Amino acid sequence: MIKLQNVHKYFFKDEPREVHALNDINLTIEDGEFTLFSGPSGCGKTTLLNAIGALDSIDSGKIFLDDKEIGSLSEHERTAIRLHEMGFVFQAYNLIPVLSVEENIGFIMKLRGFRESEIKQRVLEVSSMLEIDNKLSSLPHALSGGQQQRVAVARAVASKPKIILADEPTANLDSKNSQKLMDMMRELNEKEGVSILFASHDDLIRESVRRIIKLNDGALVDA
Amino acid sequence: MFSLALKNILFYKGRSITTFVLTFLSTILFVVYVSMMDGSHKSMLENTLKIYTGAIEIYHKDYRDIGGNEYLIQDVKTITDKLLHVEGIEAFTARYETYGLLSSAENSAASMVAGIEPDKEKAISSISLALKEGAFLSDDSGSCLYMGEGLVQKLKLKLGGEVAFVGGASDNSFAADIFKVCGIFKTGSFEFDLSTSFVSRSYFDKLMLSQNKASYITVKVDNLEHVDTINKKIVQTLDSEKLESLTWKTLMKTMVEAMEVDSIFGYISLSLFLIVIFFVIMIYGFINVSSRIKEFGVLRCIGLCNSNIFSLLFYEIFILSTLAILLATPIAGTICYYYSLNPIVIEGIAEMYKDYGIVSDEIPFDFDIFTITWNLAVIYGLNFLSILYPYVYINSFRPIEATKHV
Repeated sequence: MIKLQNVHKYFFKDEPREVHALNDINLTIEDGEFTLFSGPSGCGKTTLLNAIGALDSIDSGKIFLDDKEIGSLSEHERTAIRLHEMGFVFQAYNLIPVLSVEENIGFIMKLRGFRESEIKQRVLEVSSMLEIDNKLSSLPHALSGGQQQRVAVARAVASKPKIILADEPTANLDSKNSQKLMDMMRELNEKEGVSILFASHDDLIRESVRRIIKLNDGALVDA
Repeated sequence: MFSLALKNILFYKGRSITTFVLTFLSTILFVVYVSMMDGSHKSMLENTLKIYTGAIEIYHKDYRDIGGNEYLIQDVKTITDKLLHVEGIEAFTARYETYGLLSSAENSAASMVAGIEPDKEKAISSISLALKEGAFLSDDSGSCLYMGEGLVQKLKLKLGGEVAFVGGASDNSFAADIFKVCGIFKTGSFEFDLSTSFVSRSYFDKLMLSQNKASYITVKVDNLEHVDTINKKIVQTLDSEKLESLTWKTLMKTMVEAMEVDSIFGYISLSLFLIVIFFVIMIYGFINVSSRIKEFGVLRCIGLCNSNIFSLLFYEIFILSTLAILLATPIAGTICYYYSLNPIVIEGIAEMYKDYGIVSDEIPFDFDIFTITWNLAVIYGLNFLSILYPYVYINSFRPIEATKHV
């Protein structure tokens, strides 16, 4: 369970250009939810996703991941949470340029200590599901934007984390691949009980999720 | 992390090649430079010790500080008999030195006149090899004088010329004689050649009444590096409060200090070079890291902790420096070894630097495994230090901030 209590986040605090990115967010996300953060550009979707993912700090309030308050954890502990409990799909793919597609997908599993055979099997499984199994030996710079996005998704889901945080995961995919991605995400959510949180404008995601949390100017409009 | 580091090295070729080449060249230069510096110091020392000063000299206490006939060694035979049993001594001889006035038909000069045992002296010093004209002394060369070239010129003498000597004998009486210049030497040591002459002891002892007496006994050791140990053995063997046994480190304190100062300046100039190399490697590393901030940000976002990032940087520099050092070491070692056997010859360098005790145009290198090892350790250390600032720079970004770095 993820619980947010009176969360505030500012950018450029105490400067004339100060932005109140998250404004008194109170929210509970139960285990196994399939949720979308929606709202106009700049409303705080990505900021909220980063705060939940222990990627960014908040200025006040508390974020609980089960019984752990993220703000009270050391950087090392937060890194461990990101590694063992979360999977990230970034808007800008963020693949590791020196690793092949296969190595990128299996990288987190390797860090988490999965067996080589298990990694290989899982990489094949997710890569064929996302139709990138013919690109396993390629380096990221040799792939199109859509293919890189699919590799980023495959990397996030391969290790079957407890929570997947996906920021605009369909932004560079065509409708067919977007649908495939959403089907896979739903399957992961339903079969494995993985909580999946999206930040997106995409109508396909809007139609696929079970819960929509609307944000505007950093505040919750409808949860 | 190791395999990721290896992939990074292969992917970022420009940085890898630059770091490799810089490390390779600085390793060769550092090892060769230190070898040359140590070699020339060793050579300076050996040459100087060979000329006249022994590795160890045995004195009557206070002879060096006060001087005078009452502080001469009085029973040379007893001491030399004991020295025969000390392990590590290659040769020894007793010298009787006195100061007197030497006068030719045209000029006079103060000089140190030393009574020496010519055959034993050949085994101890290179005085006999410094012969320029005439002949070296022998036990039966009588009143022959073996004189430094500078002194010969000062007294306006020639080979075969006569010179009057006036000095004080060992019983404090006057001693005077006419000597004949039978040999002229040139060691290259300016002061020494200008103020020294030698006479065979068999003749000189009769004149100076110095039989079985000596100013000191000079000792040559079989290995200069063991000089302190051998000296301890001598002190134990002689077991006399009246005698003192000193090594070249005390006898040639000024030269040792000069060599230390020279070493310090050598290392300072070398350090400046290494600092430049260090900064170039660090700047290249930093530029490389700066262009990879986003990548490091991603790695930290998806679960790599700071120690993983440090390990990654460490392995990258470890692989590159190990390869460079592994390749550079045999090359540098071969250069040092070759020039330790075949010293570089720079014509005229001995003449130019004669005041600094350089008596040979040869600059030998010193091939020493221990020295090479610590040289390599320094290069390794500098390379590892060069990753610290890039590491701190990476950590100055929050992970998510780093992923947006352009």
